[in-house]
Amino acid sequence: MALREVNAKMVEATVVPGQRLYSQRGAMLAYKGEVSFTPNIQGGQGGLMSMLGRRVAGEATPLMTVEGSGTVFFGHGGHHVQVITLTGDTLYVEADRLLAFEGTLQQGTMFMGSQGGVMGMVRGQVTGQGLFTTTLKGHGAVAVMAHGGVFEIPVTPQRPVHVDPQAYVAHHGDVRNKLSSALGWREMVGRGSGEAFQLELSGNGMVYVQASEEKL
Amino acid sequence: MFRLQGSKVLAVEMTGDAVKAKNGSMVAYDGQMAFKKLSGGGEGLRGMVTRRLTGEQMTVMEVKGHGTCWFADRASEINLVGLRGDKLYVESSNLLATDAGLRTGTTFTGLRGASQGNGLFTTTVEGHGQAAIMSDGPAVVLRVSPQYPLTVDPGAYIAHQGSLRQSFQSGVTFRTFFGEGGGEAFQIRFEGDGLVYVQPSERNTIAGDV
Repeated sequence: MALREVNAKMVEATVVPGQRLYSQRGAMLAYKGEVSFTPNIQGGQGGLMSMLGRRVAGEATPLMTVEGSGTVFFGHGGHHVQVITLTGDTLYVEADRLLAFEGTLQQGTMFMGSQGGVMGMVRGQVTGQGLFTTTLKGHGAVAVMAHGGVFEIPVTPQRPVHVDPQAYVAHHGDVRNKLSSALGWREMVGRGSGEAFQLELSGNGMVYVQASEEKL
Repeated sequence: MFRLQGSKVLAVEMTGDAVKAKNGSMVAYDGQMAFKKLSGGGEGLRGMVTRRLTGEQMTVMEVKGHGTCWFADRASEINLVGLRGDKLYVESSNLLATDAGLRTGTTFTGLRGASQGNGLFTTTVEGHGQAAIMSDGPAVVLRVSPQYPLTVDPGAYIAHQGSLRQSFQSGVTFRTFFGEGGGEAFQIRFEGDGLVYVQPSERNTIAGDV
C-alpha cells in the first residue's frame, strides 16, 4: 500500500526504487528522501498511441512520474482526497479527478459509447464527463479528489443505486451504468425538482459520491 | 429517519413516507424514489405568495419512496435538529431537509434580519420531527437560559429554537464613524430559554464592515 491518507485533504506516498508513481503535475506538497519528478509528456502510461488516444479523447491531464526513494505528500486545491485500493478490478474515474496512482495500475481510456451505445454518449454529455473516461486496472492504490469528502455506496444486484451525475466521482467493480431520466411534464414547464437525470448503477461493485454538486 | 453520514452528507431511510428537501440536493439513492417540486415550499397558495413577497423563497422538492436517499449541498456541514412541538427559526438558504410532517412558514424578524444580510423575514419550522440545517463549517449549539443570555454576531447566526426573545444591540460609538470600529458594530441578543446555532464563519453583513 503505497498511498496513505494523512488527513482529509492530503495523502502520503512511499516511493521505493523500481516502483514508480504517477501524480497530477504540481500536486506535490513536500517530500523526504531522494525523489525525482519528471514531467510526463505522454500523460501517463503506454506508448505514443496511448498518448494520442488520450489527447484525442480529451482525457490528457498533465501527469508527472515520481521515482526514487522516500516519502512524498500530495494535495491539490484544498480538495478532499480519497484513497481507493484496487484488487484486480477496474476503476472508472475522470482524469482531472486523479491526484496520484501507483505505476502498477494499467491506465486506459474508455469510450462512453462502448457502454450503452448512443445513450452512453448522451450520458457523458449530460454529466459533463465528455465522451471519454479514464480507467485504471490492476492491483494498487489510487488517490482521487472530490469536493467536500466522499462516501461510498455498495452496489449489489438486488440494490441498484441512483446517483446525481454532478455528485458522481468514480466507481469500480462489475458495474453497468446507464442514464435514467425522470423527465415529465413538470420539467417542461420549468417546475422540475432539479433531479431530472440520474445515473443508474447496477451490478456488483462500489460507487463513490461526493457531498456536493460542484465539479472540480 | 434522518442520519448523518460523516458531517456533510445526510442519509434518510424511507419506507413509503416523504421528506421535504432543498431542490436538487439529492446526491444518490437506492430503492425507489420519486421527486416532485413543491411550489411555494409546499405551503399552499398563501404560503407561495407570502414567500414571494418576503423574499424567503425556497425551492423545495418532496421525496417519497422506499430505500435510502442521500442529500448534500455544496459540501456544507449538516446539523440535525429534533423538534418536539417547538419552533425552529432558520434562514431558508440554510434549511436542507425536513420531515414531511413538519410545517414550514415565514415570519417577520425585524431589524435583526436586515443586519444579518438575510432580509427582514425568516423561515420557521414547527411540529414533531427532524430537520437538517446547513452551516459553513461545523456549527456549535449554545444554550440560552434566563440567567445566561447570549449575544451573537449576526453573520454567524444560523438558527435558533425554543422560547427566545431577541433584541438588537449596537455597539456603534463615535469611533465607528471615524472608521476605527472593531468590526462588531451590531449583535443579536437572545434572552429566555432555548438553543442558538452558530457557525464558525461570518456572512457578509453591514455589521461586519463597520
